[in-house]
Amino acid sequence: MPLRTLYRASWFVKASFIICFFVIFFVAGVTYKNMSDLSESSELVEHRYEIGIQLEMAMSYLKDAETGQRGFIITKDSVYLDPYFSGRENINNSLAALKQLLQDNPTQKKSLRELTELIDERLANFQEAQRFLVQKNNDIESPKFIPIFSKGKVLMDEIRQKIKEMTDLESLQLHEKQKEYKNNLKLTPIFLYIIILLTLVIMVIAYRKIMNDVRMFKIKNEQLELFRESANLSEIISKHGRWKWDIEDDSFEFSDNLYRLLGEEPHSFPPTVENFLKYVHPDDVEKVAEQVTQMREEKDLPFIFYRVVHKNGNIRHLKAYGRTVTNKWGKQNLLGTTTDITDEIANFKALEERNIELERNNRELSAFNHVASHDLQEPLRKIQTFLSRLEEKEEENLSATGVKYMSRIKNAATRMRLLIDDLLQFSRTNKADKIFEISDINVLFEEAMEDLAEKIHEKEATIHADSFPKMYVIPFQIQQLFINLVGNSLKYKAEDRAPKITINYEKVSAEGESLLSKTSHENYHKITYKDNGIGFDNEFAEKIFILFHRLHNRNEYSGTGIGLSICKKIVQNHRGYIFASGEEGVGATFTIYLPIT
Amino acid sequence: MNQDYINIALADDDEDDRLFFTDAFDELKIQTRVTTYNDGVYLMDYLNSEDALLPNVLFLDLNMPRKTGMECLKEIKANPKFNDIAIAIYSTSASEEDIENTFIQGANIYIKKPDSFKKLKKALAEVVTINWQYHTSGLNKDNFLLRL
Repeated sequence: MPLRTLYRASWFVKASFIICFFVIFFVAGVTYKNMSDLSESSELVEHRYEIGIQLEMAMSYLKDAETGQRGFIITKDSVYLDPYFSGRENINNSLAALKQLLQDNPTQKKSLRELTELIDERLANFQEAQRFLVQKNNDIESPKFIPIFSKGKVLMDEIRQKIKEMTDLESLQLHEKQKEYKNNLKLTPIFLYIIILLTLVIMVIAYRKIMNDVRMFKIKNEQLELFRESANLSEIISKHGRWKWDIEDDSFEFSDNLYRLLGEEPHSFPPTVENFLKYVHPDDVEKVAEQVTQMREEKDLPFIFYRVVHKNGNIRHLKAYGRTVTNKWGKQNLLGTTTDITDEIANFKALEERNIELERNNRELSAFNHVASHDLQEPLRKIQTFLSRLEEKEEENLSATGVKYMSRIKNAATRMRLLIDDLLQFSRTNKADKIFEISDINVLFEEAMEDLAEKIHEKEATIHADSFPKMYVIPFQIQQLFINLVGNSLKYKAEDRAPKITINYEKVSAEGESLLSKTSHENYHKITYKDNGIGFDNEFAEKIFILFHRLHNRNEYSGTGIGLSICKKIVQNHRGYIFASGEEGVGATFTIYLPIT
Repeated sequence: MNQDYINIALADDDEDDRLFFTDAFDELKIQTRVTTYNDGVYLMDYLNSEDALLPNVLFLDLNMPRKTGMECLKEIKANPKFNDIAIAIYSTSASEEDIENTFIQGANIYIKKPDSFKKLKKALAEVVTINWQYHTSGLNKDNFLLRL
């Protein structure tokens, strides 16, 4: 893994190239050194041969002189003495050349001095022999000549020995030097070869890395291109436009769709503030220009709303927002989005209008309901009052049928009174003054029972209620709820038994209740109200709450069909739920859920 | 001022109601003198006239054309000359709103028009025989609405 990370690192290529550069530099240095060593070596060889040649030449001149002298001795012809005369000068030339050649080598220099001395001695010996021969008339038999001649031979041998010594030393030194060079030359090619191979490997890896990076760049580029395309699409769908403001350069970039929001083809004009402001509605130009100035100073743009006018005269509403973003190198760009909210505004307006209309309808309906039931009361009251007067004053003047009819009229009027009262109450439940307070439900229940005390006593009903906690409710409506429920139970009591009512309380969470689904609150007060009245078929469990809906004939029971509708209305006002279930002849159960806020 | 009988006034635009009202007092064995006015304007014109004989108890219907009972109530309460008049609201409606507003404006009692003649007589008898001094000083909203 570390190798892989190394390979991935962005400085890898740079490092590879630096290494290659140094390796090539090094290889060039080593090669240069080898080349110069090689030429030095050949110079040395040449040098050695020069020395050898000069030594051989010196020796050969000496031999020539010796041979010449011997020829002279035998023939007495002085022609043979030529090499002897020229020998002296030639030898001196060779010795001078040798001195030059051997000046860097102290051992050889010393040997050369000794050689020179020997040669000088030999030449002196020649001269001595020559002088003797001339004086004694070439008497080679003379006992004086023999030692001179013999000394010459000894000196020649010594000289030959010295030259050999010198040549040998030179050869040895050359040999050693050459051995050294050979060693050097044997190692360097392998070393260089390995290094160059290594460099090649590094370069190949670097190349691969570069190619890999290029491939990755291409992939990333493609992804970016796709992303850009999808961003463009989503801009079109969501009616967005993007813009970028380079704060340093004071230059803008507009996205394609921003041009479309202004009703233009993409990039149809240079993106500048001046060009943009041409599209802003004349009434909004000042505001927008001010915002742009503010943006320059604060580098942050709050939401701004303005209108633009398209070439065709269409007015669109836009909303813009921008924020400064600083990149790694401290460069600041203000990035912004602009949205066309014309449709939203239109929708909002339509909704608002409908709301107003709805509210007006509701108010009218409520007023109608109130006025109708209120105004209906007046003539009804008079009918009832006149009936009571008639009954009091004229009853004895009526026939039996007349009395019966009058009693029917009275019943009808009473029933109408009941209907109107209930309707009034229903419209009151609908009215707007829903003031919620934290209320003691036990007290509200007690007050409701006081209202019904007479009827409860008359029907000999027994009522058991749990203790309730305090709740956040509209007090008079909750009291009404209890009145209506208990009133209902008393009204629909079973013939054969006294009414028995139980009210249970429980605090529940919405999740655990099978009756509740899609509730707005998590926890609810659950009030379970149960009676032992005539009950009803579960088929009617929902119809029972519908306004004016009755399950029984008017002759049997006197209900108006409004009481339970009011109950439902009250529970709805509290954002709660009421459910009914029943069994015919056994009793009814009402389950009420009021949200815990 | 003759103190042998109680001076009663009623302002109500409804002819039948005025008839029930006067009939009820005719049948009651109380010494009263009943005057009725067809609406608030007639009533106030009379009360504001110089030789007006101010009633002891004034019954005011709320819903009247030209000048409503509420407007009459405000005018009467604003004028110290009428301080001694006991005011009974006499209306078909018994809405919380009306009861509340008339109580605040200083009416003394509120009667919901009953639906039988017998109850009417009972209510009127009760109102007329109330010891106003005592009733007014209480200023109690609980017994403001007359219960029958």
